[in-house]
Amino acid sequence: MQGFLDDLAIMAPAVMFNIYFAAASIPIGFVLAVFLALGKGSNNPLINRMSRGYIYAFRGSPLFIQFFMFYSLALSLNISVWRPLGISGFVLHPLFIGPMVLILNTAAYTAEIFYGALRAVPRGELEAAKAYGMSPRQQFRRVVWPNLIRLAWPAYTNEVVFLFHATAIVYFALPVVGGQADLMMTAKSLFERDFNAFLHFSVAALYFLLVSLVIFFIFGLIYQRLMRHLPAQPGIRFVPKWMR
Amino acid sequence: MIEDIGFWFSYLTNGKHLTWYASFQFTIFAALMGGALAVIFGLAGATMKNSRFMPLRLVGSIYSSIVRGVPDVLFFLFFPLAFEQAVEWVVATQVCSPEAIAAQTAAWPPCREANWFLGTTEYLLLASVSLGLVYGAFATNVIHGALRSVPAGQLEAARAYGMSHSQVLWRIHVRQMWVYALPGLSNVWMLIIKATSLLSLLQIADIVLWADRLGAPNFLPAVGLVHEDWRWRYYLVLFVFYILVTWLSEKGFEAIMRRVGKGILSEARA
Repeated sequence: MQGFLDDLAIMAPAVMFNIYFAAASIPIGFVLAVFLALGKGSNNPLINRMSRGYIYAFRGSPLFIQFFMFYSLALSLNISVWRPLGISGFVLHPLFIGPMVLILNTAAYTAEIFYGALRAVPRGELEAAKAYGMSPRQQFRRVVWPNLIRLAWPAYTNEVVFLFHATAIVYFALPVVGGQADLMMTAKSLFERDFNAFLHFSVAALYFLLVSLVIFFIFGLIYQRLMRHLPAQPGIRFVPKWMR
Repeated sequence: MIEDIGFWFSYLTNGKHLTWYASFQFTIFAALMGGALAVIFGLAGATMKNSRFMPLRLVGSIYSSIVRGVPDVLFFLFFPLAFEQAVEWVVATQVCSPEAIAAQTAAWPPCREANWFLGTTEYLLLASVSLGLVYGAFATNVIHGALRSVPAGQLEAARAYGMSHSQVLWRIHVRQMWVYALPGLSNVWMLIIKATSLLSLLQIADIVLWADRLGAPNFLPAVGLVHEDWRWRYYLVLFVFYILVTWLSEKGFEAIMRRVGKGILSEARA
């Protein structure tokens, strides 16, 4: 029991790194994903092909490989580019390159979700908007976007939780700088000290579960706010699956 | 020009590179074995979740929700370590003398005789099992949903023929479920493929580890070709490899869906 409480205290700072990685990559990934989804839905063949290819490549390959690839690419550019610019310590820092790769990855997954929602936007509403003489920008702002975000939100919530889970492998691919260890690294080093796999990994799992629940809760609140124009829907079970 | 081609050919077929190519077997084995086990665990989980016996239902639900609620890496690392320790603990109760336990200074294992050394084969098997366990939880959900999509009339007809509960389940329900489960199972398979890149975390010399070794900068002519940091090129190869595997599996699943979905509701072919 004492060991459990100790672990909880030791891992409390560690979970902040996971939260940082997720929080740093979600907003930028979101914006990037909107553009990618629009690109995949665009009629311009070049933009369409490029967005499609990007989404396919990043959804079809493991995040672990993406981490290694971008980190080693950044390393090989170190002497020729980063060092002369004097930013090598910044660019090669896991706290920078970790969110960067996560952004590239989550943008692709989120774009696929948004693209699905984009295609599900009711045609009639779009036609009505056109009939009113709205410009394409107005159509997007007033008709497409409100529909898209509401349709995509539940799936996007899942993607955010998956992204948070994906932060667990950041430090398996990137070097740990000083004491900046996330949950997995902390659990692993604690395990290597006393070989108590059940305790340390369970506490790490508990933290992941807790944060996932918090994410579900917050995103559920946002979903309620998005859906406030509709009468309270009994059908939306936004309680995470493991509590049902 | 010809010499260049010859040089690169011999570079790409030197011993280290051949070992790299050979290490693809670990990845492929883990993916296939993990996929098969995931389907088995998924079936077991879904039947438990559907069972009439409450505790079994609870076990099925808890399994699928807890395992999906923590990152796959965590479980992927935890399961082999925990399994190894459990085996060592059982062995220790049999072979360890009290003196040996008293003489042991390290925290684990209880005595030196109980130590179980895991080689690549053991780790590979354990990794496949933990892949199966993790993605079996996803498959549980998929199969559970697919079981509910089977038209109720089919099951009623089976019951009307006097089939027992288990006969209805295994002869009608599970066999008709596959068409509905395939799109979800193909997603699970894509997740498994991507998770096979984690094998090197379990000390298996897999494609990722070899890409790292081969690409590391070399300054000694005696060791081989002198080159700078080429790791990103090797990782780029793996990046493309995984995309190709994903593309191939997509085509494969499409073909299976076309074959299996023949004559069945068009909505099953999503």
